[in-house]
Amino acid sequence: MRHQEEVKWSRLDNYSKVFPATWSPKDPKVFRLSCELFEAVEEDVLQRALDITMENFPLYRYVLRRGLFWYYLESSDIVPKVEQESQPVCAPIYTGLRTNLLFRVSYYKCRVNLEMFHVLSDGAGAIRFMRALVFNYLTLLYRERFADIALSGDTSSISEQMDDSYNRHYIGKKAFREMARNEKAQRVKAYKIRGTRTDEYRLSLIEGSMPVKAVIDEAHKYNATLTVYITSVYLYSIYKTMPGRNRNQPIVLTVPVNLRQFFESQTARNFFSTIHIGYNFAKNPDDLEHIIRSVADDFQNSLKAEKLNLQLYKAVSVERNPFARLLPLPVKDFFIRAAVKSYDRHTTSNISNIGKIELPPEFGDYIREFSICTSVRKPQLTMCSYNDRLVVSISSPFKETDIQRTFFQTLSKAGIEIEITSNL
Amino acid sequence: MKYCSTCKVSIRGTKERCVLCGNTVTTIDSKSEAEEIFPAVPPYYKSNMAMRIMIFISLSAIVISYTIRMLFPTTLNWPIFVLFGVGSAWLSLAIIIQKGKSIPKVILWQVTFIPLLAVFWDWQTGWRGWSLDYLIPILYLAAEVVMYVTAKITKLSVRDYISYALLAGIFGIIPILFILFEWVKTPYPSITCAAVSLIFLMAIFIFQGSYIKSELKKRMHI
Repeated sequence: MRHQEEVKWSRLDNYSKVFPATWSPKDPKVFRLSCELFEAVEEDVLQRALDITMENFPLYRYVLRRGLFWYYLESSDIVPKVEQESQPVCAPIYTGLRTNLLFRVSYYKCRVNLEMFHVLSDGAGAIRFMRALVFNYLTLLYRERFADIALSGDTSSISEQMDDSYNRHYIGKKAFREMARNEKAQRVKAYKIRGTRTDEYRLSLIEGSMPVKAVIDEAHKYNATLTVYITSVYLYSIYKTMPGRNRNQPIVLTVPVNLRQFFESQTARNFFSTIHIGYNFAKNPDDLEHIIRSVADDFQNSLKAEKLNLQLYKAVSVERNPFARLLPLPVKDFFIRAAVKSYDRHTTSNISNIGKIELPPEFGDYIREFSICTSVRKPQLTMCSYNDRLVVSISSPFKETDIQRTFFQTLSKAGIEIEITSNL
Repeated sequence: MKYCSTCKVSIRGTKERCVLCGNTVTTIDSKSEAEEIFPAVPPYYKSNMAMRIMIFISLSAIVISYTIRMLFPTTLNWPIFVLFGVGSAWLSLAIIIQKGKSIPKVILWQVTFIPLLAVFWDWQTGWRGWSLDYLIPILYLAAEVVMYVTAKITKLSVRDYISYALLAGIFGIIPILFILFEWVKTPYPSITCAAVSLIFLMAIFIFQGSYIKSELKKRMHI
């Protein structure tokens, strides 16, 4: 028997533990970050760019494996291959049958797609990889023009990238224990969007690309930020398509929050928490102005350091529970699935703004826009911006497009120019 | 670029109808972008015809055998063998399909389930003891050999089979119990199996001990 080098491995971070358990063909827990260029993508250059990028992101070489008590990540020597897009949007990556990398890079005409199983990273982590990939691609392609351009803002060490920030920032304080106990009773059943499932569980994706400035101007008319404005319009669109008999139920949106802004972290792995934005149309007026005011208040209250600490405490304390830790993996998976299912009853949809993607200004002539979308169990909204292009994507498992229609019509009525792209 | 006058939005790609409201769209700029934005992915038909035929044959065989016994009674309850036979075959097949890609894993699952099936068959057919006397020890022995040989032939890296080999070795020790509790009439296969397994395990620990330790640490972390 040959002696072999010891294999590197890593525990999953807090949120990542949920995804291998709740994965299913209906919702493979995959998200896609795309970058659309003005010119067609060249495969061999993209492959070389990917090879270079991989050197700085050792995390992306890891594969997911099952242990007796937990899943874990293990380093591999698989080399990722760029391929032409040939599968449905956000097709499953981890299926448990093969050991493969947890992301894939594909291209179609002018667009580069990075699809990722959520275990590996969250949107903010994926952006870092995507920025590096696009940077390497463009600098390889236009070697002379971009000879002395550097990618700013990526100065983290490898160990910082691999950091499990949940555990590092966990302070098991008694105060939080009590707060967590007090908070429990308030949950209410939220309105559930229903519809006809698409064939083969394919994702129905409608993306609207619009000028950032126009949207911000419109938001400022209500004294709101862009995220608050979009969230409110989305809430309003869900309300408009709600059957009358459900109108007494509140609409609750979960919003993932990138914790890197609040806790010091450079991790390339998951580090987010979620907050809840709710509105009850039975008890409150249904005009946009009132919705915006309520949403803005909700954001302000939820994004306090204390609340976020409490969220972090709640998330990490479960996985630290000694009894929970000793359960065999299949039993854990069962309980996680049950918990997520019951949690889902309290939410209507999900809205996620992964923010502004920044690249050297010289790239502006080559990159048209960035967009992000995700696999879903219920309609969800995701958005990101690059330069003056905001792309709002609504992913849905249903054939109906009423929410999407109301949403984009509301924006276009406000005078915002929208370009729709869809895979339907 | 197309334009939907109902929704007041531009629509990219080659769409004939607005994806939001379903109304027909007008072309506003015929030069740019008459291309698809997303590739057309053909539907993925999964007919599973072979599987359906096998299920149909299996179930029909069971029904037919019971029917024949009712029409032409015999003292021997032979249709039960058809039932168990079909069940055993499907269980084995399920393991292979489920654990498909990794040969050591399939072997390990097979040596977990086949002994149970064997004991069940033996017990159902009047306990002649062949399952404990011969089948189980020989099976465990074969598993160890096959696992080692396939690992070498297919050039598996140590980490891909070492934990399965370890478990197979531990299984191989089990026949000692058969001898201690005097469950067997012919002790030779059990003795050989236990001895070979012990040597097999010693080899693993002596040559790959540190590997086993780190592998266990990884797989058993709490």
